Amino acid sequence: MSDPTNEYTDWEEFEDGTLTEEEVELADDRWADAEIEDSARSIDETGDEKRNVVAELMRERAAKAQSRADDDTVDKMIGIVDGEAPVGIDDGIDLAAGAGAGKLQLVTRQTQIKEFVLASVFFLCAIVAVLGVALIFAFVAYKAFPIFTEVGFGNFITGTEWSGTEGKFGIVPFIVGSFVVTLGALAIGAPLAVMTAVFLSELASKKIRSFVRPAVELLAGIPSVVYGFFGVVVIAPIVSRLFGGVGFGPLTAWIILSIMIVPTIATLTEDALDSIPMGIREASFAMGANQWQTIYKVVLPAAKLGIIDAVILGMGRAIGETMAVLMVVGNAPQLFAGITRPISTLTSQIVLDMGYATGTQRTALFGMAAILFIISMSLVLTVRLLSRFGQEMSG
Amino acid sequence: MKKTKDQIINDVALSFFWIAAGLTVAALFAIIIYVVVRGIAVVSPTFVFTWPHGVNAEGGIFPTIIASIYVTALSMLIATPIAVLAAVYLAEYAKQGLAVRIIRFAADSLASVPSIVMGLFGFAFFIETLGLPLSMLSAALALSLLMLPIIMRTTEEAIRGVARYIRWGSYGMGATKWQTVSRVVIPAAMPRIITGLILAMGRAIGETAVVFFTMGQAVNLPVIPTDSGRAMPIHLYLLAVEGINIPAAFGTAFMLMGLIFTFNLLARLISKRYKKVD
Amino acid sequence: MSGCRGAAITDTVNVAGSTTILPIAEVAAENFMQQNDEISVLVSGMGSSAGIEAVMSGTADIGTSSRNLKEGEGEGLVDIPIAYDGIAAIVNPDNPVNSITTEQLRGIYSGEITNWSEVGGEDLPIDLINRDESSGTRDAFASNVMDESHFDVGAVILPGTGQVREVVARSRGAIGYISVGYVEPRFGTRPVKALILDGVEPTDENVALGVYPISRVLHFFTKGEPEGATKQYVDYILSDEVQLGAVIQAGYLPVSTIEGGQ
Repeated sequence: MSDPTNEYTDWEEFEDGTLTEEEVELADDRWADAEIEDSARSIDETGDEKRNVVAELMRERAAKAQSRADDDTVDKMIGIVDGEAPVGIDDGIDLAAGAGAGKLQLVTRQTQIKEFVLASVFFLCAIVAVLGVALIFAFVAYKAFPIFTEVGFGNFITGTEWSGTEGKFGIVPFIVGSFVVTLGALAIGAPLAVMTAVFLSELASKKIRSFVRPAVELLAGIPSVVYGFFGVVVIAPIVSRLFGGVGFGPLTAWIILSIMIVPTIATLTEDALDSIPMGIREASFAMGANQWQTIYKVVLPAAKLGIIDAVILGMGRAIGETMAVLMVVGNAPQLFAGITRPISTLTSQIVLDMGYATGTQRTALFGMAAILFIISMSLVLTVRLLSRFGQEMSG
Repeated sequence: MKKTKDQIINDVALSFFWIAAGLTVAALFAIIIYVVVRGIAVVSPTFVFTWPHGVNAEGGIFPTIIASIYVTALSMLIATPIAVLAAVYLAEYAKQGLAVRIIRFAADSLASVPSIVMGLFGFAFFIETLGLPLSMLSAALALSLLMLPIIMRTTEEAIRGVARYIRWGSYGMGATKWQTVSRVVIPAAMPRIITGLILAMGRAIGETAVVFFTMGQAVNLPVIPTDSGRAMPIHLYLLAVEGINIPAAFGTAFMLMGLIFTFNLLARLISKRYKKVD
Repeated sequence: MSGCRGAAITDTVNVAGSTTILPIAEVAAENFMQQNDEISVLVSGMGSSAGIEAVMSGTADIGTSSRNLKEGEGEGLVDIPIAYDGIAAIVNPDNPVNSITTEQLRGIYSGEITNWSEVGGEDLPIDLINRDESSGTRDAFASNVMDESHFDVGAVILPGTGQVREVVARSRGAIGYISVGYVEPRFGTRPVKALILDGVEPTDENVALGVYPISRVLHFFTKGEPEGATKQYVDYILSDEVQLGAVIQAGYLPVSTIEGGQ
């Protein structure tokens, strides 16, 4: 894969982040034209005098394929060339030029239509995601809209009192609660996750890694309601004993949530670490740096953006977490009053009130859902912008 | 030989990474062991295969297991074809450009939509607006929106994981795009695609907030897609907070985790087996 | 098994509403369907308000509610009480306080009284446990105890009876409230202590006699007098089989036990 004469093999570097998106676009376009040329070239490397004979054969076959182009012929051609490389570079390029103009000359109109229809179907499927997001946002916003006219946007997001039965719909306590819970969980979970990822990527032997990595993946598989249940029966009593209160509040939520976001952050961080070229580590070691110095001064800075991405996505996971938080946070619609005092979050309040909410309160819950949606979407957007920023920096 | 200051710092710093990894593993084991120890005493053939009865959900959890499997299978049936084809588009057909950027952003956003928002949307849209009943179908539709980006991502990664030169070979021989994709790329990516699907199923079966408002909560054995039911995670939630039958809650948690870990193990076995074949 | 129903189902009764009533309605539905092959009863629990709305809009034949109708709500609905329930204030068994007045209870829940020493107990902060607003238990507690006072927003809000009980059982300073029927430990849960309120012990007898201060009615609501399959199901709920079976098992009091009951 590292043929220096072939600029298209550089593709892999895109995944490493060493190519910009623009460069990749360019490469992608050229790649489409030259993919055939490539294989011809690689065949040529082992070329000998037989190549003209083989090229001739290829041309004949290509001509035949054109006349009765169907899938079978193409398959046969594949077989023939597999068996009978090498072919000359010049002939290869000729062939590529003929085929590149292209590939379509080898197929019937029917196949051409089939190709087009299939491509369209794939495109439509890909669009479903866009439609889904648009629909969810539009619908939730539509359902939430009356809150702005009935309560007023300002009162809604700056009000500090919430009581469905008394008609008070201020969601400041929930916004504060969501952020308190999320940031605390990040403060514990992010270092734990990043260090676990560094351990997996840099320190662990193959044997240990094959044990720890599945553990991290299993952690991701545990349903949030089980985490919540565990929080209720195990963590809350311990917190209650150590810190007073009854054990429902931010501290318990932090402990549970920080475990829950470890897999998200650790997996993404490990991806970022793995994409750093081995060479820079070797260079660091070669200069006499020890493992810690290499991790701290070389590896972590190189993976910085990837790690920030991971933490931001972990934040998204934490802020959207519902059942586990609902079960351990105490759900009191008050402002943060201490790590063992109950608070409530956007997500948990929606579940609590949805069962009975009607009228304005119902729209208020949709308003909260819309806000959650916007928060999680902006986190995704931040990650996107960061990676573009990163490309500009390195480009 | 005496250690230098750098070496000591190195040792201390590295030990923290060991501790972090140890804590992560310990957290997993704490949860597993606790649930297994308390749950296994409750689980028996009667627990798995009979109905809950009485006002405190004594007896078994059979209908909830069926409802969970039912809704998961249905949502996968809806999400998988769309997600896999979308991934094929992104990995093989799409040229870098605005359209792809929008699709990717949408998929990432969809993946980050909090599950309760999805649940709320599902209730308001599928049930209140479209008039579907509280049922497997409504829950599966909402759930499939959540699964879509997950399957899309794992499938796209699987397809991109297929070495480029294999495609060059195929194209070089004059194969069309679809021939290359369907006969070369997808077969090569299949084990990883299946692994991704199974992991997504594990995710779907444990999902609570999405199905909370879309499935109904009554215990019922679903037969047709418009039947309502109570999935295992909801049963667990209700037992844990509303009810007083905590042993049954542990039993349910045990079964739920058992099911999910089985999926995980299956995924692992498949990917391992195909690696050997390669 | 209620999953194996006869093929010829001619009637369906939709029951929607209170999660408190859900278990009773469900168990009853199960047995009812075994006895009446041709009728299918679908029970769902979405909360009392949703139940009232469902029966008003006609999506449900019966709306169940663990609270009374609010002003202007459910005009013209027929109210069928199906059970009674007393609500006990509970504390940790280690808490020396045994009895309390309604006024003190109000003071505690409105946040004016914050230490057990203020109601004759030890010097220990009170950990307040409340229910979520959708809870019929909370509704009954509010209307019987709170008068015009507001609940302290700093209280821990737990979404279910089981959790309230469990937390009070393990926290010395905690106070909560649950249905009288759930005070006694079951399924290996730890004990809690029910407080004597205004000198009256929260027992079934006292609730039935109407002397215990906090009680509520569990309702079925129908739009117009129940007919056909709906009436059959309602009659079954009111029969001794359910009243002396599921209702009592669920920790509530049969309607017939109330003085001058229906």
